[in-house]
Amino acid sequence: MKLTKVPWLVLVAVLVVAAGFPVYWMATTALSPSADLFSGTQSLWPQVQNTGGLIGSIGDIPILRWIGNSVFIAVGTTVLSLLLGAIGGYALSRYRFRGKGLVNFLLFMTQVLPEALLVVPLYAMFISLGLLNSMWGIVLANVGFALPVSTFILKSAMDSVPKELEESATVDGCPRFGSLTMIVLPLIAPSIAAAAVIAFFAGWNEFLFASTFLSDQSKWPISVGLASFIGQYDTPLASVMGSALVFSVPAVVFFLLVQRKIVSGLTAGAVKG
Amino acid sequence: MTTTVAPPQAPATRRPPRRRHRGGGAVPYLFIFPPLAFLTVFMFGPLVQQVWISFTNTRLLNPTGGRFVGLENYVRLFTGDALIHSLWVTVSYTAGTVVFGVGIGLVAALAITRPFRGRAVVRGVLLFGWAVPNVAASLIWLWMFNENSGILNRVLSWFGVDAVPWLTSTTWAPVSILLVTVWQVAPFVMLVLLAALQSVPEEVREAARVDGADALSVYRVVTLPHIMPTLRLVSVLMAVWTIRRFEIIYLLTGGGPLDSTSTLVVSLRQTAFEDRDLGGAGAYGVVGLVLALVIAAVQLVLERRAQKGSDA
Repeated sequence: MKLTKVPWLVLVAVLVVAAGFPVYWMATTALSPSADLFSGTQSLWPQVQNTGGLIGSIGDIPILRWIGNSVFIAVGTTVLSLLLGAIGGYALSRYRFRGKGLVNFLLFMTQVLPEALLVVPLYAMFISLGLLNSMWGIVLANVGFALPVSTFILKSAMDSVPKELEESATVDGCPRFGSLTMIVLPLIAPSIAAAAVIAFFAGWNEFLFASTFLSDQSKWPISVGLASFIGQYDTPLASVMGSALVFSVPAVVFFLLVQRKIVSGLTAGAVKG
Repeated sequence: MTTTVAPPQAPATRRPPRRRHRGGGAVPYLFIFPPLAFLTVFMFGPLVQQVWISFTNTRLLNPTGGRFVGLENYVRLFTGDALIHSLWVTVSYTAGTVVFGVGIGLVAALAITRPFRGRAVVRGVLLFGWAVPNVAASLIWLWMFNENSGILNRVLSWFGVDAVPWLTSTTWAPVSILLVTVWQVAPFVMLVLLAALQSVPEEVREAARVDGADALSVYRVVTLPHIMPTLRLVSVLMAVWTIRRFEIIYLLTGGGPLDSTSTLVVSLRQTAFEDRDLGGAGAYGVVGLVLALVIAAVQLVLERRAQKGSDA
């Protein structure tokens, strides 16, 4: 090996440790005997014989219920933002109409909007609609932020579908909406999948709205459930870390699988409008 | 309230040629109506209402019973120390995130641009911080920061360094928050820059090398200018997203100690749900929104100027 490669190797090693260690430590902590954790004798290596943390996480904490709630919220967010995003993206991709620039700008605006800004008015609105302390309310609040991203992703995917395909279908008597569902959408399936995954994990990870609007512990998603352990030092830390791991693994796997799509989608949404 | 800052037509100038589009009478409106109606009800409407609330004395316990008080909340905010402090925390947190997040992201992207054995695995690991959900990330770091039994202080003690009060001192808490934030955002920066770096034309770099340029000059003259637009874009994204950030700070320090980590968004939520002062919270929100819009507008202006420059 060339000597000049050594600094490069060191750099990559430092980066890998800095990026990977916290996740490694989450797993190691989940597998550690509880007695070791606060005595400062936690082993630096995973204690594979001790799986109490992971199993305990399902026993004494309503972890499965919280995961179920997270799935409900994430799926609801995904379905609604894809449905609305597909028709909105179709209008933006295929038609020229008055006010299109404004629509584009409004969608673009949502990218700089802090979620916290909507907490107070949505709180007031959800009280009057009976949506406070309801998982549906969380879904609706999340869709507000997931929808513009879905719209942008689906719009730019639709731009790449040749119009001629649709035109010949319309000549053959296919109605406008039919050409969207039967011709365009199947052709952009990969982008739909990417938009779906982004929306799903936006819902899966969301914390601010869920922690503010859901007072009922049985309705919490796992993000809020886990956060509720912060500051309660009598909770078994290994179990909390095990649950955090269960909460993270699907997100990490999916983000790694579709990373490129996500990046092009997010940056396209942020710049192109 | 938005029209004052950014020109609404700006994104439209960059769209592909118009001939692909067709007019469709009422049809496009039928398509655009449902998503737009949804956003109006659940996003833009509440946003306008939030601005309105900031001019009222609305309390949490009676969220619809506020009375118009004009600029009172803003006067209170701008004459007290809290807003200045919050702004300072927000701006320095944002600046730190952009500088270190983009800097480290760039270094990481450069380090793994060229193919090598195991690159896919290395890249996967480098992306962890970005993929782990915020709440889970907060839990891990909270545990690593633990003053007595956390791993960071344990490692420091091997070198004979005293325990650092990561989250409980006004000096270290902002540093700790920044550390976690950079851990989370640098991977995203890396991914975006990696794509840009891979589009740098190899022939141009080769030509520069033939002309006798060393590695650093090639980087400065060829690579850097090529990725500059991406670098600028990702910096703006980082800035805007950092202003929005909430979970990490809220869960790690709750804005403390002594408000040393209380950004605008954290102050907003505290004012609303702890002080129960929705009007005052609204004023914080409007200040945060203006800040985000200013940054976004700067990006639009720079982008246009750069485009004009390249057209000329």
